[in-house]
Amino acid sequence: MSDPKNDAGTSQPKAPAKDPKKKEEEDLSEEDLALKQQLELYVERVQDSDPGLQKVALESMRHEIRTSTSSMTSVPKPLKFLRPHYGTLKTFYETMPESDLKKYLADILSVLALTMSAEGERESLKYRLLGSEGDIGSWGHEYVRNLAGEISQEYIKRQSEEAPIEDLMELVQQIVSFHMKHNAEPEAVDLLMEVEDLDLLVEHVDKTNFKRTCLYLTSAARYLPGPDDMLVLDIAYTIYLKFEEFASALQIALSLDNMQHVRQVFTSCDNQLKKMQFCYILARHGITFELDDEMVADDDDREALQDIINNTKLSESYLTLARDIEVMEPKSPEDIYKAHLLDGRASAGASVDSARQNLAATFVNAFVNAGFGQDKLMTAPADSSIGGSTGNWLFKNKEHGKTSAAASLGMILLWDVDSGLAQIDKYFHSNDNHVIAGALLGVGIVNCGIKNDCDPALALLSEYISKEDSSVRIGAIMGLGIAYAGAQNEQIRSSLTPILNDAKAPLDVIAFTAISLGLIYVGSCNEEVAQAIIFALMDRSESELGEPLTRLLPLALGLLYLGKQESVEATAEVSKTFNEKIRKYCDMTLLSCAYAGTGNVLKVQNLLGHCAQHLEKGETHQGPAVLGIAMVAMAEELGLEMSIRSLEHLLQYGEQNIRRAVPLALGLLCISNPKVNVMDTLSRLSHDSDSEVAMAAVISLGLIGAGTNNARIAGMLRNLSSYYYKDASLLFCVRIAQGLVHLGKGLLTLNPYHSDRFLLSPTALAGLVTMLHACLDMKAMVLGKYHYVLYFIVLAMQPRMLMAVDENLKPLSVPVRVGQAVDVVGQAGRPKTITGFQTHSTPVLLAAGDRAELATEKYIPLSPILEGHVILKENPEYREDS
Amino acid sequence: MTYRIITRTEKNRGRRRFLGFLLYINKRKNTDFRRAKILFLLFKQNKKTPILYFFFRSIADSNPIMLTVSVKWQKEVFKSVEIDTSQPPYVFKCQLYDLTGVPPERQKIMVKGGLLKDDADWSTVGVKQGQKLMMMGTADEVVKAPEKGPVFMEDLPEEEQVASLGHSAGLFNLGNTCYMNSTVQCLHSVPELKSSLVKYSHSGRSNDLDQTSHMLTVATRDLFNELDKSVKPVAPMQFWMVLRKKYPQFSQLHNGVFMQQDAEECWTQLLYTLSQSLRSPGSSVNVDTVKDLFGIELASRIHCQESGEESSETESTYSLKCHISQEVNHLHEGLKHGLKSELEKASPALGRSAIYFKESRINGLPRYLTIQFVRFFWKRESNQKAKILRKVDYPLELDVYDLCSDELRKQLEGPRQILRDEEGKKLGLKANEKSSSSKDGDVKMTDAEGSSNAGGESSVAASQEGVPAGKETCLTGIYDLVAVLTHKGRSADSGHYVAWVKQENGKWIEFDDDNPIPQREEDIVKLSGGGDWHMAYICMYKARTVSM
Repeated sequence: MSDPKNDAGTSQPKAPAKDPKKKEEEDLSEEDLALKQQLELYVERVQDSDPGLQKVALESMRHEIRTSTSSMTSVPKPLKFLRPHYGTLKTFYETMPESDLKKYLADILSVLALTMSAEGERESLKYRLLGSEGDIGSWGHEYVRNLAGEISQEYIKRQSEEAPIEDLMELVQQIVSFHMKHNAEPEAVDLLMEVEDLDLLVEHVDKTNFKRTCLYLTSAARYLPGPDDMLVLDIAYTIYLKFEEFASALQIALSLDNMQHVRQVFTSCDNQLKKMQFCYILARHGITFELDDEMVADDDDREALQDIINNTKLSESYLTLARDIEVMEPKSPEDIYKAHLLDGRASAGASVDSARQNLAATFVNAFVNAGFGQDKLMTAPADSSIGGSTGNWLFKNKEHGKTSAAASLGMILLWDVDSGLAQIDKYFHSNDNHVIAGALLGVGIVNCGIKNDCDPALALLSEYISKEDSSVRIGAIMGLGIAYAGAQNEQIRSSLTPILNDAKAPLDVIAFTAISLGLIYVGSCNEEVAQAIIFALMDRSESELGEPLTRLLPLALGLLYLGKQESVEATAEVSKTFNEKIRKYCDMTLLSCAYAGTGNVLKVQNLLGHCAQHLEKGETHQGPAVLGIAMVAMAEELGLEMSIRSLEHLLQYGEQNIRRAVPLALGLLCISNPKVNVMDTLSRLSHDSDSEVAMAAVISLGLIGAGTNNARIAGMLRNLSSYYYKDASLLFCVRIAQGLVHLGKGLLTLNPYHSDRFLLSPTALAGLVTMLHACLDMKAMVLGKYHYVLYFIVLAMQPRMLMAVDENLKPLSVPVRVGQAVDVVGQAGRPKTITGFQTHSTPVLLAAGDRAELATEKYIPLSPILEGHVILKENPEYREDS
Repeated sequence: MTYRIITRTEKNRGRRRFLGFLLYINKRKNTDFRRAKILFLLFKQNKKTPILYFFFRSIADSNPIMLTVSVKWQKEVFKSVEIDTSQPPYVFKCQLYDLTGVPPERQKIMVKGGLLKDDADWSTVGVKQGQKLMMMGTADEVVKAPEKGPVFMEDLPEEEQVASLGHSAGLFNLGNTCYMNSTVQCLHSVPELKSSLVKYSHSGRSNDLDQTSHMLTVATRDLFNELDKSVKPVAPMQFWMVLRKKYPQFSQLHNGVFMQQDAEECWTQLLYTLSQSLRSPGSSVNVDTVKDLFGIELASRIHCQESGEESSETESTYSLKCHISQEVNHLHEGLKHGLKSELEKASPALGRSAIYFKESRINGLPRYLTIQFVRFFWKRESNQKAKILRKVDYPLELDVYDLCSDELRKQLEGPRQILRDEEGKKLGLKANEKSSSSKDGDVKMTDAEGSSNAGGESSVAASQEGVPAGKETCLTGIYDLVAVLTHKGRSADSGHYVAWVKQENGKWIEFDDDNPIPQREEDIVKLSGGGDWHMAYICMYKARTVSM
C-alpha cells in the first residue's frame, strides 16, 4: 500500500531542476549523503555492461532496501534516494536481456514501485510477477499489503477480461501464508475474499490463529451479500472442525441451518461431555433434532443426550435459577400494577368486575408467573374449599376470556410437562367449550419447546381438531402449533392440511390452522404445506379477503420461508396471481419473512420504498412492510441502528397505517433490550392522538422491556395506566405491557437471538412475528375475541441465564464476571472481551448486550460462549495456590 | 382358577375416599375363555364413600402375552407394570387406577399416535416390552362454573355502570354555565336534598307556590335523577331554561352570548326556591327541608356604645360569610370576622343615628354548613366585581364550637364527649368491639353507652325537627368538608367555576363541567387561593353526628 502523504512530501521539492535538489543535498546529514551517493553509484553500476558488476550492485541495493524497510513510519531512506532513478532503472530493465539478473532487477523495481508508481498502474505487482519469486516477506509488511491491494484490483480486471489468474493465485498463496504467520488474519481473509478463494485459508490456519481467523470470518459474513456469506461461514465451519473446536463449529452449522453439518459435528466428536454441551446449544436454539446411533453409539448415552435436546430439564434449571435469585414467591397482578404509587387517579375502587380488566389481569398473571408453577389466581392451594379460588378466577372471565384464563395455566406451568398436564387435566372435563379450548391451548403452551417420547400434546390435542365447536378447534390447533413449532411433524401435517381446504371450515379455524402449520414447518420451504395454504388463500371470497384474520394466511406462508432468502421466489411468483386485495400484502409478508434476520440492505431499501408510497385505496400492505424492515434489519447492530433512524422518518412522513406499525417494528428491533432512545420515542407515541398508534406503542414498550423489570418503563406504564384509566382498550394494552416488562419476574427474555447475538432461533422469531402481525390490527385481534394470539410469544420465551453445570449436569456455583460485551473482531493480541464487569456466582442473569467469562481457572467451559447451560470441566492443571 | 383381590383404600388428597375392589383374575392357569368381559359398577353406599366394584370374568387366550412397561404419571414413575395383552386396555386402566387413584374414565394414556382407547387392540397399539408410557389425569374435582357467575361491568345497562364508576356524571357546559354546573354538582352531593326532591311530586304544588318555582323544583329533581343514572355527561338544558325563566338575571347577554354569572347568587337563589317548594304541604307544621339542612340560626346582640342601648335579635341564614381582610389567614378568623359588624341606625335614645355594634353567634347548627368566602367586592373605579386573591386556608375538619352561643355550647357538650370517647377508642385499644366508627355520621351506638354517657341530654337545635324519632342523631359542632366550589380567574363574572365533591366512597372528584376527574384529598385543601389557581369560593361542610 503506498502512502500518498509521504509520496507527496518527497516528490514535490524534487520535481524542479537541479537547484533545489542541490539545496536539499546540503540539508542532508553526512551519513545520508554517503548513503545517497552510494545508491547513485549502485544505479550507475546496474547499468554497467559487466554482469558481475551488475549483480554486485543489485545485491547491494537490495541489501540497503531490505535493512531499512523494517520501519514504515516514513518512506525509508534508500527508497527515497532511489526515487529519481526509478525511471532510469525501468528503462534499463526493458533493455536487459532475459536473465537472472533481470529478475533481480524486477524484484527491486517492484519494491520501488511501492512508493513511486502512479496510482492504478499496479507496477509493483507487474514487476513482482516478472521477478524472481523469492520470499515475499523479506521486503516487509508494507510491501506485502500493497501487493495484496494491487492483486485484488488486478483480479477484478482479469475476471472481466476472463484472463488466466494462475500467476496471481500463486502470489496470493504466498501473501496469505505470510499474513497468517504474522498475525494479520483479517488482511489474509480480506484478500482471499477479494480473489474468491477462501478455501486456501484452511491450509494456512494453525492452532494459534484459527480462532481469530474464524471470528473475523463470522463477523464479516454479516456484511457479505448473497451466497458469499454462506461460503465464508462454511470455511469457518471447516476450520473449526479441523481444529476440533466442535462447539463453535456447531454454532456455525446452526447459523447455516445445515443439519448435515450438525450431524458431522456429532460424528466427529467422541467426547460425551462435549456432546452434552452440543445438546444444550441445540436445545437453546429450539430446533428438533433426533440423534441416531451413528452420532452416539451407546443407547443410554444417546437417551441422556436426547433428553437435553428435548429440554426436559429446562423447567428444573429455571426453577433453580429462580430459587437462587429468590423470586419464587408468586406475584399477583396488583403487585405489578403498583397502583398505590399513583396519586388519586387510580381506579376508583371499582366494585364490579370488568371483564376486560380481568382478562388483562389473567395475562399479566400468566406472563409474570410464567414457568414458576405457582401463582395467586389460577393455581390455588389444593386444600381450599371445593371450587377454590381457581374456579373462581377462571369464571371471572367472560366467554372467550375463559379460554385465555384456562390457557394461562399452561403459561404458569411452562416447560413442566408432568405437573402441567396434571393441573390442566381438570379443565378437559368442563362443559364449557371456551374452557376446553383454553385447556387445549394450555397443553400446547406447557409443551412449548419441550419434546417428549410419548408426544402427550399430539395425543391429547389431535382428537379435538375436528370437533364441532370452532373455539375448541382453534384451541387444539393453536396448541399443536405452539407445541410442535419447528418439528415438521408429518402426522400433524396430514391432519391439519385438510382443514385448510375444507369449504365448511370457518375462516378463523382456517387462519389458525395455517399459522400452526407455518410454525410447525417454519423455515422448511415445505412444498405441500405451501400448496395447501396457497389454495386456501385462493378459495377465499372477496369479502373474506378483507377480514383481518385472512391476513394470517400470507403470514403462515411467509413463516415457511423464514430466513430462507431466494427459496421464496417461486411462491412469491404464485402470490402475484392472487386477488389484488391480498396480493401486495402477501408479497410484503413473503419478502420480509424470507429475508428476516439476514440484514440484507437491499431488501430494507425495497421495503422502505413501499412505505414511501402514499396510498389512497386503504390498502394494508404497508403494515407488514414496516414490520419487515425490522425483521430484516434486526440481524446486526449497525443495520439495526440505521433502521431505527429510518423508522423515525416514517413516523414523521408516513400515513396512519404506517405510523401504526412503526412502534411494533421498534419493539421487534429492540426486543428485551430497552434502549433509551427507543424508549423515549415509544413513550412519546404512547400519547399519540391516534389511539391505535398509542396502543401499538404501549405494547411495544412492553416488548422492549420484556423480562427486564426495567424501572423506567415500569414507571412510564404506571403513569400511562392512570392517564388512560378511562379508556378500557388502552388500559388493557398498558396492563399487557406491564405484564411483559415483568415477564417471568425478570428472568426471561424474548430475544430470538442468542449465543452472543450470533444465532437466530427460527421458532422464537416466528412466534414474535405472528404476535406482531396480529397486533397490526389491534381492534380485531387482541382487543376482540382472539386475544390468545398473545400467547404466541411463548415461543420466544427463554431464561436469560447463565447456568453452570458440572459433569453430572448438577448446578455448580462458580464465580463469573458479567459485563458489557466488547467487539474484539480483528483486534491484535488478546483483548478484554467485556468491560465494566461485576463478579457474580452462577446461576446469573445476563442482560441484553452482556457477556460473561469465568473468573476462575479451576474449570474449563465446554462452550465458547457462556450463555444458557454451560458444562464446566475441571481444569487438570489447576493448582489451588497458584 | 385363582382370584386375586386387590383392595386399596385410596385417600384422594383428603377430599374423598375411594374404595376400590379390583377383582383380578390371574389367568395364567386359566385357558378356557376367549373374551374378557368387564362389569363396572358404581354403588353409592352413602354420599361420602362411593364404592367401586369391578367384576370381570376373565377369561383369556390360550397363550397370554404379558408385557412389562413403566408408566409415568405426573412426577411418579411406576416401574414394571404388567400388561396382559389378551385383555382390553380397560383392564390396564383399572390396574393404573389401583396405583394412582385416577378413575379409568379420567385416565389418558399416551401411546404412539394418540390416546389409548378403552377397547383398542393391544396388537395394533404397538406397545413394546419395557416401553415408557405416560398417563395423564387426576382425580381432582372437575371445575364447575359457579352457579351465579360474576356480573361484568361491560354487561351492565348504562345506569348501573354508574355505581361501579364511583362517581356521578358530569354536566355539559351550555355556554358560560359553569357557575350553574358547579352549583348543581355541589348540591347534588347532598343525599337528603335528593331524597326530599324525589318525594316532591308533579301535581303536589301547593297554592302558595308560583308556577316557575314549581317548574324549577321539578327540573332540579329531574336533573339530579339523570345525573345519578347516567355514565356519560348530561346536558342540563331543561334546568337552565327554567332557571332563566325564574331568575331573568341569569339570561343577561353580552355580545350575543349568555354572560358568566356569580355562582353564589345561583346557589342562593336555587336554595331559596327549593326552600319555598319543599315545605311539606300537608302537615300543619311548616317543615322546611332546606332550612332543616342548610339553615343557620344566628343570635345577635346589638349595642350602641354611645347610648349603651342593647337589643338582641335572631335571624336565619343559609350560609356563613368568611370575610377576608389583611388579618385573615384562616377560615376561622374570617368567620369570626364575619359575625361581627358595624351598622348605623337611628337610636331611639339619642334621637339620631348612631353606630351600633352587632355581634352574632350561632344558635342553631345545620346538617350542612355552607361557608361563602367573600372574595368579590364591587370596585367602584373599575365598575366591576373585583376579586380578593388572598390565601385563606380552610381545614378538612371544621370545629365551630367557639362560634356558638352559650346555650348551644351546652347542648353540644354531651355529643362532643361521646365523639371524643369514640375516637379515643378507635385510636387506642379496641377494647369494646361494639363501638364503631363515627366517620360517616350515621353511627349506631349501643344503648348502654349512649345512656351512660349522656343520659338525659335533650335533643339539639330547632333545626333537628325533621329527624325521625327513635335514636336521636345529635350534632357535635364538628364538620367535615364535602364539597368545594372554586373559582379561577380575576373577576366574578369571568373565569371558570369548578366543583370538587367528595363521593360516598370517600374519593374526591373534580367536576370540571362534563369532565369528572379523580383527585387526591391533599389537593383539595390546596384550593385556598393566593395565586391564579382555582380557589375556594363556597365550601360545604357536613356535620359529624353521634346518635344518642
